[in-house]
Amino acid sequence: MNRKTLSSIATLALLLGAFGCGGGSGSSEAVKTDAPAATAVTKVDPATAATITGKVAFAGKAPARNRLIMDAEPDCKALHSAPVLGEEVVVNANGTLANVFVYVKAGLEGKTFEPAQGGIALDQKGCVYRPHVSGARAGQLISITNSDPTTHNIHPMPKVNREWNRSQPPRGANIEQSFPRPEIMIPVKCNVHPWMKSYIGVVDHPFFAVTGEQGTFEIKGLPPGEYTIAAWHEKYPAMEQKVTVAASASQAVEFTFKGD
Amino acid sequence: MPETPTPEPDPVVSSSLSRALLISALVVFLTLVWGIADETFFMRPWKRYQSRFVDKYTAHLKRLQPAQAQGEEGIHKTATYQKLAQQIEEAKKQAAPQRAAINKELNESIRPRLESLQVKYQEVRSHIAALTYELETAGGEGSKKSIRADIEEVRKERHDLDLVKADGSGGVERQEWDFAEMEREYDRLKQRRAELQTEVIRASAPVSALERQRDAYVKEQMTGLTREQIQGLLNKMDQFPSDIKQIHVRQIDLVDRCESCHLGTREPVELTKASLGEAVFAGHPTRDLLKIHNPERFGCSPCHNGNGVATTSVIKAHGYYKHWLWPLFKQENIEAGCQQCHVREIVTDHAETLNQGRELFRGRGCNGCHRFEGFDREPELLQAARQQMRQIEMERADAEREMARTFQKIDDPKTPLEEADRLKARADQIRVNANRMNERLEQLDVQASNLMREVKKIGPSLKEVRVKLRKEWIPVWIKDPHEFRQTTKMPTFRLSEEEIQAIAAFLWQSGVEGKLADHPMGNAGRGKELFETRGCLACHSVGEGDKLMGGTFAANLSRVGEKTNYQYLVRWVHNPRERTRPYCALEKKDLGPADYAKAGKPFRFDLANAVCPNDGYTLQVQQMTVMPSLRLTGEETRDIAAYLTTLKRPEASYAAAPYLDDPQLKQKGMSLARNYGCAGCHEIAGLEDEGRIGTELTKEGSKPIERLDFALFGHPAKNEGWYNHKGFFERKLKQPDFFDQGKVRTQLERLKMPNFHLAGPEINALTTFLLGSVESQLPETFHYRPEDQRRDIQEGWWIVRKYNCMGCHVLRANQPSVFMTLPRYQDPDWKEQLPPQLVGEGARVDPNWLVRFLANPALSESDTNRNGLRPYLKARMPTFTFSEGEVDKLVRFFMALSSQATPYIQPKLKLEQLSETERTMARQLFTSKGAPCLKCHATGNAAHDARATAPNFLAAKDRLKPGWTYRWMLDPARIAPGTSMPSELFRREGTRWVFNGPVPDSFKGYSKDHADLLVRYMFQFTPEEIRRLGGGVAGN
Amino acid sequence: MDWAQIWEIAVTPDNVPITALLFLAPFYTWYGLRQAFANDRLIAQLEASPEMAKTHHRKVQAWKPGWAREVHTWPYLLRIEFLALLIVTAILMVWSITLDAPLEEPANPNLTMNPAKAPWYFLGLQEMLVYFDPWMAGVVLPTLIIVGLMAIPYIDANPLGAGYYTYRQRKWAIWTFLVGFLGLWVSMVIIGTFIRGPGWMWFWPGVTWDHDRLVFEANRDLPDLVGITSMAGKSIFGGFVSLLYVAGAGWAFHKLITRPGFNRKIYERMNILQYVTMQLLLILMLSLPMKMLAKLVFRIKYVWITPWFNI
Repeated sequence: MNRKTLSSIATLALLLGAFGCGGGSGSSEAVKTDAPAATAVTKVDPATAATITGKVAFAGKAPARNRLIMDAEPDCKALHSAPVLGEEVVVNANGTLANVFVYVKAGLEGKTFEPAQGGIALDQKGCVYRPHVSGARAGQLISITNSDPTTHNIHPMPKVNREWNRSQPPRGANIEQSFPRPEIMIPVKCNVHPWMKSYIGVVDHPFFAVTGEQGTFEIKGLPPGEYTIAAWHEKYPAMEQKVTVAASASQAVEFTFKGD
Repeated sequence: MPETPTPEPDPVVSSSLSRALLISALVVFLTLVWGIADETFFMRPWKRYQSRFVDKYTAHLKRLQPAQAQGEEGIHKTATYQKLAQQIEEAKKQAAPQRAAINKELNESIRPRLESLQVKYQEVRSHIAALTYELETAGGEGSKKSIRADIEEVRKERHDLDLVKADGSGGVERQEWDFAEMEREYDRLKQRRAELQTEVIRASAPVSALERQRDAYVKEQMTGLTREQIQGLLNKMDQFPSDIKQIHVRQIDLVDRCESCHLGTREPVELTKASLGEAVFAGHPTRDLLKIHNPERFGCSPCHNGNGVATTSVIKAHGYYKHWLWPLFKQENIEAGCQQCHVREIVTDHAETLNQGRELFRGRGCNGCHRFEGFDREPELLQAARQQMRQIEMERADAEREMARTFQKIDDPKTPLEEADRLKARADQIRVNANRMNERLEQLDVQASNLMREVKKIGPSLKEVRVKLRKEWIPVWIKDPHEFRQTTKMPTFRLSEEEIQAIAAFLWQSGVEGKLADHPMGNAGRGKELFETRGCLACHSVGEGDKLMGGTFAANLSRVGEKTNYQYLVRWVHNPRERTRPYCALEKKDLGPADYAKAGKPFRFDLANAVCPNDGYTLQVQQMTVMPSLRLTGEETRDIAAYLTTLKRPEASYAAAPYLDDPQLKQKGMSLARNYGCAGCHEIAGLEDEGRIGTELTKEGSKPIERLDFALFGHPAKNEGWYNHKGFFERKLKQPDFFDQGKVRTQLERLKMPNFHLAGPEINALTTFLLGSVESQLPETFHYRPEDQRRDIQEGWWIVRKYNCMGCHVLRANQPSVFMTLPRYQDPDWKEQLPPQLVGEGARVDPNWLVRFLANPALSESDTNRNGLRPYLKARMPTFTFSEGEVDKLVRFFMALSSQATPYIQPKLKLEQLSETERTMARQLFTSKGAPCLKCHATGNAAHDARATAPNFLAAKDRLKPGWTYRWMLDPARIAPGTSMPSELFRREGTRWVFNGPVPDSFKGYSKDHADLLVRYMFQFTPEEIRRLGGGVAGN
Repeated sequence: MDWAQIWEIAVTPDNVPITALLFLAPFYTWYGLRQAFANDRLIAQLEASPEMAKTHHRKVQAWKPGWAREVHTWPYLLRIEFLALLIVTAILMVWSITLDAPLEEPANPNLTMNPAKAPWYFLGLQEMLVYFDPWMAGVVLPTLIIVGLMAIPYIDANPLGAGYYTYRQRKWAIWTFLVGFLGLWVSMVIIGTFIRGPGWMWFWPGVTWDHDRLVFEANRDLPDLVGITSMAGKSIFGGFVSLLYVAGAGWAFHKLITRPGFNRKIYERMNILQYVTMQLLLILMLSLPMKMLAKLVFRIKYVWITPWFNI
């Protein structure tokens, strides 16, 4: 009831208002156009560009590499004279850990970099993905080859990106695909050959590396600043380190994964 | 008349009112102005909205224009478009000369001549027509005659005409014609004109065809609106009529003027608050809904509530004032609008909140105390069925008697013959009817026994407490279940210490006696593994707080070890439906060995022998639980049970509770249990036939607000603005004794509703559900009560929810199953272990097979310790011991979901027979290096199947539908996103699909579709074919 | 003090006239009386000086030499009336613009509103229902009110005071009116509006109208109070008491009207029929406040109980 009277009072006020400001009822005229401003590509000045080098050590007793049983697929078995070892944990002779994906996790926010030149390759050879762990830029083409006499199917299982699952016949045309969004890590499976597995780390900048037989890595051309470097391994929990790199300096970083 | 001038003037005469008059006149005038302004302006706020909308929308369109125009330009540049444009040009050129000729004749000779003739001819014709009319209506022969004469005269009369020459020179010729001649010429010309026009059309046919093609092309290439369309909208805005936009639905004489302000609702352009700057102009967020519920037919307020007619103010229109009984639903409860028509459903698309609310209502056992039409129907249906049976039995008896009498009469020689014949016919009629009753009875009997199996309780049976529970645990639990088990469904009652003791004592003493078989302790380690992989976690959960893992459908078992004993767990895990004693509803007692002994029968009861030894009445031989049997071996069972007994807090200790055996407490406990409605969720000896203790909620949303007991909160609520249904429900759900505050009441007078510890979103969901549960204002025709397949879907969902199929399976795209959320199944290698998705199951499988499978997922009587179809899965499709009714409903549900025709007739015969060569080819392809089929799919060869991750081909024949199989092979990801089966096994080649990869040489010159070949091959599998593929014959 | 509620009651469109009445009734009473007393003074003046009486032809202002003897209706009266017309029009228009018709939700047969109040001009009758049988309050008394109003011209034996305000010459009539209209009718309308809450319970202004309010009110009948139980006894006793009241009231009125001074003249002019009618009406009129008193203060429901009617 008193609402009614209030409204009538309001009516009066409106009347006055109308005479006053011509009944201009307030409403936000400014309409935001939600088109993102194209951020400029940040150029890295080679003069000041810094480098991060380092190695991934492995502490503790190196677990024995499991043997891949390929009996299910004579064609695969035939490709190998020696027994094939799984690549879950590969500890190098020098006590370092291979197949660790090292990348800049934080510190590059708001920067965009030149799109990658060319793509990366993922080969299926001897019913094993090569490489076992690889890194790619967001949107970078990944060209997948089947160099085996048997049909494979490539089944990435991302959480952020779109999942797909395509079969690739022997000597079939390369599959070229890319993952538009950064994601750590995308497991790739072959349902036909359950032992086949590979991991692809997708980041939106060129500063990542994968450790090899020497267990070392190098991230070049990094603009000086403060970063969080992360190291991911298939089996062991991921690690992080904060580093500050001075202009055109070379900063050493070492990760140590504890075996059990 | 005194001459002396008076000092002071006469107040009446001299005083002037003019100022007063002027002022008041002005005032009146002002009020008049105000009145008019009020009428035309202030009472019509929508006018201001509309003008604002026009401005902003126009601006927005202008912003869009360039982009769209660009897009269109782009299309114009495409080759296809260019080609079409060019073709059009050519076609035009081709048609040009012919068209020119035709037009020349038309315009230069035919038309002018026609025009020059027309006037005179029509004049005469109408004269004749008039005379003819007179002739028809004239009276005597005499007058008719004279009129005839007149007509003749007019016909004969010659007129001189200046006709344009036919040669197209434009010259004029003079003719003197009578009517007949004029008519002839006129008809000729008209006919000729028609001919020429058709020719023109024929000539330009190719052009217009091409143009249509071009427009179509542009349309399908264009995203969003074309330039023309935008221009059209702009024009529309230019001459936008400022008036009330009204939807009028005659059937329900509904008038909704919402769109007078909400102008963007149905605009073709997607409008948002961002794009127009005002939420009021935003388009309807879910257009799909508008497609199903066309506003022209449904209006707005039937779904959204509010006062659709009001236009004087926002408050009025939204109905947010005292006297409007249907105020606009708030955003968070918006789905309440669906409920009033979709009242039959438990799952409604686009209404997730509402669905959650319904599921809570069902799953938390609200309907244990509150009746709600459609929920927990089984007991009611059962009663109805039994009633009907009694009814029919009586009728049948009558029929029998009447038949007897009739026969007597027939046989009586005194009855006249024709009378006897009539009676014979009658007798047959009765006979047939009686028989029909028998059939009906039979059906009802089946239905009844089905329902006996379908009746479930939300809570466990409390008849088993003595065999099952740790005695001291009971009072602790009753005191505060939530304290013992965070996520329990059992609500917390506000009980005094004495009450707890009494109830506990009653429950303990009312429990049935029975002894359990004695099992050796199993291996807890293996038990854990089994527990986490067999599928227990789809419904149950373990771990507390953030470590909680598994489904919330059933109990959290983190502390189950504290309350129950190993032996019972073994029995329960092995077969949850197993009862200690059967219950006879007629005698109202749980039968023991003694009763059977009296009848000289062995103490055996199960679905096969479910007849009471005393009175032959059907017994309740199963636990009223939805928990299925996982068909575990004795060992597996023991392992799991062993694991469960380990789930306990080490420090857990319970005070002894001797009073549980105090017989004095029993009676008191019983009346308390009755008072608090325990029997609503539990099966309790002595309270089997208890009614519901709460109010019915079917129409709660439209209950007069005065009838909701705000107790002492009426005025605070009004002042704080929550004196409405929403406010009441939310508080009541959050704190059920809210409205007891400040009241002076005895323990028993207090509000009984226990505390369910609902979370905010849950409260909102339930509120939404209740707000929507109203006495609908709409006529029946608007309610969603389909009788076709959609009905099957509605009913199916009830069963799916009842048994929590969604714990393991995906039934709707993007509905994650509980399994998918389990940590273990995040590992890529375990993804293959996920239970199959059932999206499109109806299209996939043969209903007859599905019936068999649902009845017995092992697909085998002997070897039940397995998955009938997918032996490779660690998770187990359990045996739910569905009633026939439920199986039938489920199958029809799946068929309806993918709109399959029922009954299903296997199209085997339609499949083309395989020729021998084709069989060989197929076999070769199957086994070729290129084809991965046999790598994953089981063949029945034990060695091979150990690694298999997909069903056996042999099953395909009976199980699958060929059409689906074909589609599946081409692109499985379309049917089951994320499946292990790879896509692109085939590639398109002209009109057929060929295998994508190296094919055996035998395929050279094979012109048919490879996928189709494989399908036919699969559906004509024979065991020995499998053997040749290197498989052993297994499957079914 | 629940101001929100007082405000709500006061501005309910239904109640606006009553809220106005609250102020207007006293104001105009005062205004009228003011003029009446002015006239009385003038009359006294004239009676004092026969000189002036000769020349004086006006009633309102004391006549001054040189003034016209008569003032014409046109324009001197009509212009004032026209002014009044303008003002009233303006008021009515503002009123009609600002206050909408007080419509409510569709009636629900299963749910009567509480309090359910009569339109404002009948609240007096509704209030009477509290004190009398429906039969009395709903039929007898209203009829008598109308009959009484019709009877007034015939009862009124006073030739003076026609066409001008005066108090002295019409004390009796004015007092009767003030008591009857303001005292009994207007006041009851106001009680019905502002005092009567849910369940037609008595809420002092500012007390929140609580639907669940419970009050203990044991209403007894007068005979019970003095311990008479038999029906016959009750009716006899009640009749006796009623008679007592009639006699008493009649006597009081008689005393009042026969008081020396002006009233006595009226009394002398009246014939017996007029006098009796007036007495009857006055006695009945007085019965209402008496009954209210009995009910509200002494909690007495009925005085006179018979098998046929209760008073």
